[in-house]
Amino acid sequence: MSKVMSMKQAIAKHVNDGDFLFIGGYICRTPFAAIHEIIRQQKKDLTVTRSNAADDFDMMIGAGVVKRFIATFLSLGFYGLGRCYRRSLEQGIPHKIEVEEYTNLSLPMMLMAGSMGMPFIPVKDMAGSDLLNVKSFMGDNKYKIIDSPFDGAKTVLVPALNPDLAIVHVQQADEDGNAQMWGIGGDCQVGANAAKKVIVTCERIVDREVIGKDPSRTIVPDFKVVAVVEEPFCAHPGYTPGFYDFDFNFGNLYKNASSTVEGFQAFLDEWVYGVTGRAKYIEHYIQKMGYGAYRNLQAKFDYGYPVSYAY
Amino acid sequence: MSEHAAEYCKPELMACCGAREIKDHNLVLVGTGFPTMSANIARYTHAPHARLMQESGVYDAQPKRPALSVGDPCLNPGAAMIGGLVEIMGMFLQAGWVDIGFLSGSQVDKFGNINTTVIGDYAQPKSRLPGSGGANPIGSLAKKILIIALHDTRRLIERVDFITTPGYIDGPGARERWGLPADTGPEVIITNKAVMRFDKSTGEAYLESYHPDTSVEEVVRLTPWKLNVADDVHETEPPRVEEIRALREILDPNRMIRLYEGRGYV
Repeated sequence: MSKVMSMKQAIAKHVNDGDFLFIGGYICRTPFAAIHEIIRQQKKDLTVTRSNAADDFDMMIGAGVVKRFIATFLSLGFYGLGRCYRRSLEQGIPHKIEVEEYTNLSLPMMLMAGSMGMPFIPVKDMAGSDLLNVKSFMGDNKYKIIDSPFDGAKTVLVPALNPDLAIVHVQQADEDGNAQMWGIGGDCQVGANAAKKVIVTCERIVDREVIGKDPSRTIVPDFKVVAVVEEPFCAHPGYTPGFYDFDFNFGNLYKNASSTVEGFQAFLDEWVYGVTGRAKYIEHYIQKMGYGAYRNLQAKFDYGYPVSYAY
Repeated sequence: MSEHAAEYCKPELMACCGAREIKDHNLVLVGTGFPTMSANIARYTHAPHARLMQESGVYDAQPKRPALSVGDPCLNPGAAMIGGLVEIMGMFLQAGWVDIGFLSGSQVDKFGNINTTVIGDYAQPKSRLPGSGGANPIGSLAKKILIIALHDTRRLIERVDFITTPGYIDGPGARERWGLPADTGPEVIITNKAVMRFDKSTGEAYLESYHPDTSVEEVVRLTPWKLNVADDVHETEPPRVEEIRALREILDPNRMIRLYEGRGYV
């Protein structure tokens, strides 16, 4: 049964106020179009998570849709600190979000545990650091320290996470939601599989037969997926391997805009509220930056030896 | 005796100092900037079998330009393996395979503890920083940690405001008490003024060598803790010709490394 719908429908139907969301991406394949739609629909009180957040989460925090953040890191990387994140935590603008801090080892492990139906998982990091001395909304359930029942060693346990919904962007999926990706993975696969349901956004919808030509690439199977959204250029200003490059100039644009409350609001007015969806966003991008800039982002082709599963 | 480059900038010298800590066949977990430069200088000189990985999921990338983030598109084509955080941080780092990790921070103290979380009070931050990311697990689990820092009395500090990443915590034996793996921890702090190596018996960094345009006195003055000085303290060896050749001809022909001069690494 086809689960294909528009981004607007998918977000309206499956993102509820107060939900706990995993949103995949690592500059690579971030579903920006979904994030923009969440902001446009002014969802409220979301708890969000993912390892290594960037302008994507910064934008949601600045737009006021986030209440809680299960975090490891938030920075604009090459472009400096996350301006909206700082304003939220330092000045309470638009409100102070609650942050529960983990690391790029412990958080993926918590998602992996969630994906496997495990209650918790031991991790070898965080010990001896102040990450154990700060607890937010998870309270004493942020972690536990036990003596290992096997060898008596001091062991940090962290709880499994099971988000209400995961949103992941992939290169291709079929109409039922079998989703295939390639390139830098971050915590996309464990995050998607930890969630109770998944929205798959993709660059292209392909036939089930095409999925079967390279099934090892599937990261989430159709039975977990509730919506499939075909949304080319979804990850801009991030990138999707094989489709388009990271947009360095747009990184500067966001950095400069988000440096002030007014600039950030103008950015949202122009790029989020000012367009109805990703198709209009692309039109606006081409109008503003020129077709050459858009064209330059398109990926070159560099195919390998085709895989065969025949026997 | 190697010949030395006639002219170089401070970030290039620092990258070479990092490279010299890497042995052949080492597995090196890198970020961007200095770590990648250092690891690649090592590969093109004395450590051809050293291999790099990025926490985002990449092993043995073959980038055609310097990566600007660990998620950079240039890390994808040509890599030997691409997975995700579970593979790199779990299967490789946590499982004990990673020899070298590079870290930097807004504050670094004499025990090699690093703060990338907050300046001032955690609940009412003066300045909110990005957080741990991969730093805490790298600092906890890589066998040898190389710390890159600006040498001034704001970045180097007697005690960090927040231990995001543990060095020797509060002194000898602390890592062991916390159950961190044996034979891990900070090895050196490489700054724009000096190389400070850790004395494993005290957990404190001491002055091993000062860079060519500075002196023991200047380094001691710019270090906010009582800095011990090695008996055989000496001038840092300048970049060798072959190190600079790898950097400028292969790795960084546009000398993007000079960006660090603008960030105070002079």
